[in-house]
Amino acid sequence: MSSETEKVANQNLQDRIAIDQSVRLPVLFFFTSGAVWLLLACALGFLSALKMRNPGLWDDCFALTYGRLYPAHLNALIYGWAMQAGMGTMIWLMARLSRAQLRAQTTVIVAGHVWNVAVFLGILAIFFTGGTSVVWLDFPSWLWPMMALCYFFITIWVVVLYGSRREKEGYISQHYLIGAAFWFPWIYITANLIIFHFKGSAVMSAGVDTWYVSNLTFFWFTPIALAVAYYIIPKITGRPIYSYSLASFGFWTLAIVAGWMGFQRYIGGPFPAWMPAMGGTACILLLLVVITTGVNHYQTLKGKFNLVTYSPSLRFTVFGTVMFTGLGLMTAMSSYFTFGKYLQFSHAVAGMDILAVYGFFSMTMFGAIYFIVPRITGCEWPSAGMIRFHFWFSAYGIISLVAFQVVAGYFQGYDINQWSKDFMVSVNITKGHIVARAVAWLLILSANLTFAWQLLLMFAGKGRRSQGATLIHSKPGAALTSDEAAAGLAKGGAKA
Amino acid sequence: MKKDCCSKLYLGLAAAFGLPWLLLIVVPYVKLSALEPVSYPEDMKAPDGSTVYPGPRAGEVSLGAKVYAREGCNYCHSQMIRPTYAGADLWRPGWAGPETDRESPKRETRPADYLGETYAFLGYQRIGQDLSNVGYRIADRDSLHQHLYNPRSVSPDSIMPAYKHLYKEVYPDGDVSGDPKIVPTGEAEALVDYLLSLKKDAPLPDKAGAAAGEADEANPQS
Repeated sequence: MSSETEKVANQNLQDRIAIDQSVRLPVLFFFTSGAVWLLLACALGFLSALKMRNPGLWDDCFALTYGRLYPAHLNALIYGWAMQAGMGTMIWLMARLSRAQLRAQTTVIVAGHVWNVAVFLGILAIFFTGGTSVVWLDFPSWLWPMMALCYFFITIWVVVLYGSRREKEGYISQHYLIGAAFWFPWIYITANLIIFHFKGSAVMSAGVDTWYVSNLTFFWFTPIALAVAYYIIPKITGRPIYSYSLASFGFWTLAIVAGWMGFQRYIGGPFPAWMPAMGGTACILLLLVVITTGVNHYQTLKGKFNLVTYSPSLRFTVFGTVMFTGLGLMTAMSSYFTFGKYLQFSHAVAGMDILAVYGFFSMTMFGAIYFIVPRITGCEWPSAGMIRFHFWFSAYGIISLVAFQVVAGYFQGYDINQWSKDFMVSVNITKGHIVARAVAWLLILSANLTFAWQLLLMFAGKGRRSQGATLIHSKPGAALTSDEAAAGLAKGGAKA
Repeated sequence: MKKDCCSKLYLGLAAAFGLPWLLLIVVPYVKLSALEPVSYPEDMKAPDGSTVYPGPRAGEVSLGAKVYAREGCNYCHSQMIRPTYAGADLWRPGWAGPETDRESPKRETRPADYLGETYAFLGYQRIGQDLSNVGYRIADRDSLHQHLYNPRSVSPDSIMPAYKHLYKEVYPDGDVSGDPKIVPTGEAEALVDYLLSLKKDAPLPDKAGAAAGEADEANPQS
């Protein structure tokens, strides 16, 4: 190697370290506080399922009814964990891809703290003064401007980082991140204004809520998770993205299609019929995104699938992308009359929401976190065994949870649609499945206990001091000592 | 150059999202917000005697709706009757109208049925029954209070939580040794008012009838 290229490589490494240092504190803050909320959310998921199965539990406590436990669980999962994990990942990934340093650590950290305070107040309010019953927007309505401001002060830096990028073209992952950063405030402000502040149509408020749920899933969770997948998969396999034009097609298809989704939840609802129909059509068109993304990742990975045995980042990310395919198929299926009329208003709806937030988004975020945290803390994950535990209990937990919810939902919806059957038939038939739901949350909770523990150790600088990354199974030969080893190739990889 | 490329991306993002935002949310919101109660034609009336559709609702319904929201009822109960192409809601006894009346035609819920509410609780899941027309299914206030206070005393298999915190224990004559009397709070009464007011099956002012009515007005000789 000539001294010239060595110098450039060395300079690149120095740059990268400086960038990682600049985002270290905010990113770690989001990940660790997110992980704590995740534990709470899993515990509440377990408790709400338990309460549903044994409705007599805690009968005298007004704060522990299902109608409060369940929204508290959902909102802790979404605003406490998922959005914080997403924002942390956004900042790191954007800084890395733009090769620019974050200049506003303090602002981001302060906004992050305020965000956490807001979530805390929101959860307290759901328990003690009651939520709004608006799905995914259960916090009292005076909290949202605070959260919107925090979001602005955090993600504006994602936009600034993108503005100072060195490659003009921009990577596909950057497009996804910018999309997420840019769309969310628009969606969030529209939804909150219409639902809580404008005195117009009551049915449209409910419609806007289901549109909000769909948009948060497909205009925020999805782009961030796909940005991670388009970064991690080429990076770890050391290959360029199979087809950049396919990736670009997927991105723009998602952008055009996803905003029309949402009303299919209310097929047959009190809306002009074209609105749910449009939603259903968009859900089916979303399959284009699912298929092109799936094919792209598959082709990039082809012949290198054995890497999921070793790399935790790749294993979680690939699991997440597979779940995205599942989510796309199920969303399309449930917006189709034949299944839709049974799945609508059933346990399957809740199952699909959890599939989106945990199976797809969170699992992909774990992939990102296993990749990012060693780079910003300078130490490696303490225990491969714990990563294995985290993966298998999470994967097993979420798959069984979703499977039980969907099967229970189908039975439930089928029985409700047999109009001559007593309604209680549909209640009794799902009781066993609710037990499974409780057990699944316990599995996921235990998985995330190990995750949070490892993350705290890393945060405290108590990780392994090692040259090589922590691999799930040690690899024969020395081919992949570190994810970074593939970096040279992957740098070209994530690009056009 | 760099700026060009950048603003093109943002323009694309804004256009892709702006179109559904405008056409699916803003325009329908403005249009549906313009809905107002309509008078029935002269020869028509709602079963409760109201001359407008939807008719006024009695009691503390807006406080009741707040309690309904606060307790998270919306997570397990829908308030939306689907037409036949989307499910069998219309046939299920008591869901689309009075349970005793199996003969007269039933209809799905329409946007105007929710006029006067601040938020339409269309629902998330149907863990419990649909409540669009629950007002017909409740025999009297006391039985509903009984159901809210202890659901399993009314329906043994029910998985509905008890809402004991909406009730007070009162000892008659200050005798603490005896059995307390369970008395509903104002919030429980409001919730019951709200639930009793849920009757979303009022006959629609017939379009042909309304048109005929207008014609009559225009030309009283005819």
